[in-house]
Amino acid sequence: MIPRYQRVLFWSLIAGICLMAAFLIHGCRQAHQRLTAFNDTTPIAAPTTASTEEITLDVANDADGSISANQQQFALPQEPTLRARALLEHLLAEYALPASTHPLQSGPAVDDVFFVNLPITTPAAAASLSAATGLQQNKAHPARSAASSGQLAVVDLHGSFADNHPSGIQVEDLTVRSIIGTLHAAFPLVTEVRFLVNGQPRDTLNGHASLKRTYPAIDTATTPTPPETGATKQDDTHS
Amino acid sequence: MLILCSFAFFPAQAQTLQPQTPPPAQTQPPAASSATPIAPKPTRTLILLDPAHGGPDTGAHLSGNASEKDITLAFNNRLRALLTTANFAVISTRTADPGTVFTTDQRAEIANHDHPAVCLILHATSSGSGIHLFTSALTPPSASAHPPHILHWDTAQVSSIPASLSLANEIGAALLNAKLPVILGQASVPPIDNLTCPAIAIELAPLSGSGSTPTPVTNTDYQQHAAQAIATALTSWRNKTTADKATDGAAPQ
Repeated sequence: MIPRYQRVLFWSLIAGICLMAAFLIHGCRQAHQRLTAFNDTTPIAAPTTASTEEITLDVANDADGSISANQQQFALPQEPTLRARALLEHLLAEYALPASTHPLQSGPAVDDVFFVNLPITTPAAAASLSAATGLQQNKAHPARSAASSGQLAVVDLHGSFADNHPSGIQVEDLTVRSIIGTLHAAFPLVTEVRFLVNGQPRDTLNGHASLKRTYPAIDTATTPTPPETGATKQDDTHS
Repeated sequence: MLILCSFAFFPAQAQTLQPQTPPPAQTQPPAASSATPIAPKPTRTLILLDPAHGGPDTGAHLSGNASEKDITLAFNNRLRALLTTANFAVISTRTADPGTVFTTDQRAEIANHDHPAVCLILHATSSGSGIHLFTSALTPPSASAHPPHILHWDTAQVSSIPASLSLANEIGAALLNAKLPVILGQASVPPIDNLTCPAIAIELAPLSGSGSTPTPVTNTDYQQHAAQAIATALTSWRNKTTADKATDGAAPQ
């Protein structure tokens, strides 16, 4: 026969163990939430002597399909291709933050950015003889329409970025337009933008937004307008 | 550059693609011997549905281990049934999940060959919310511009953009009336730029309501609700265009 005081002591210890276990689980959950709230995977900016400047990022929002211009202060290299690459890496790193309105996977996204003066000229197929030297010479002809002027920005994306991008028309189109708008704001001379993936042309970003076409470099900050509902309400009763 | 007018419709594709409904009825002249007046038979407007992806191209991976290609096919079947009931002639670029599917260029080729009144490209996603309606992102022609003699493959949609925008607004308004959130936009999603008909890409996204969990695109009630609203909008649009044509025809007299 177990004495009464031992039974009371036993159940008291059991109750204490349960309370401590509950307290421990609660504490672990709180610590986990606190740590994940600061799970910012943005790489820390390297120390630089360059002064910070105000940069406009065209930031996408999946909830309403809008793109809004967002002013930020950070340092960028002065060399144009490095500057464009750093700018786009910064933009896409913003999307990898936990509170992003257009969540994308973190990681390297932009392999390189090239600028090409327009119109692009290529050597003509038919060669002629120079009157002065008698040697064969090639005339340069514009490969694109003569109406094209300014610069063409060629953005070469990483294959892993394209493959892991969320799949959908809106989400892919917002990424493409966000990149175009940000480039347009930082490089006014850029009039057209093309995309490559791993240095090769690709049909779509991840099954939806076309990467085959040349996009005009324009201000892409927009808010979708809702449809006009006036006419259809009357027709619903009819049909 | 591929030129649209140089495209020939492959016989093999013609055998593979089976129209689900008879072709649009031709207006028959009234019989001279008939004494009783015959009511005019309503013309059947041809709609082309393009459930995107299929075969090895699964599209987006959605919630519940579903693939985009299965959702677009299911939505295609619902919409086709409703449109057929509403006396539309409907063609789908696929009605099953074959091993090999048409490329986007081949889908555009089918659509351009059959001259449908409307082309609807069906997609689904797990990003965003509500229903996204997209028209081509190409720059529409100015009002004073002459119609082009040659349609370029990459910009074949240009001349249809005003009609596409009008129809997208009509469908968007019907979806709003059905209490479904809508986002209208422009995007370059293949093969929309290659279509000569008024074309809209319809993307189903999860429906975030007042509850904590959004309604996934795999929800059959959600799909049926959206399909019903689209069918209502197309019926309304057909009634309007028919009335406009009748008005235009009567005006010179």
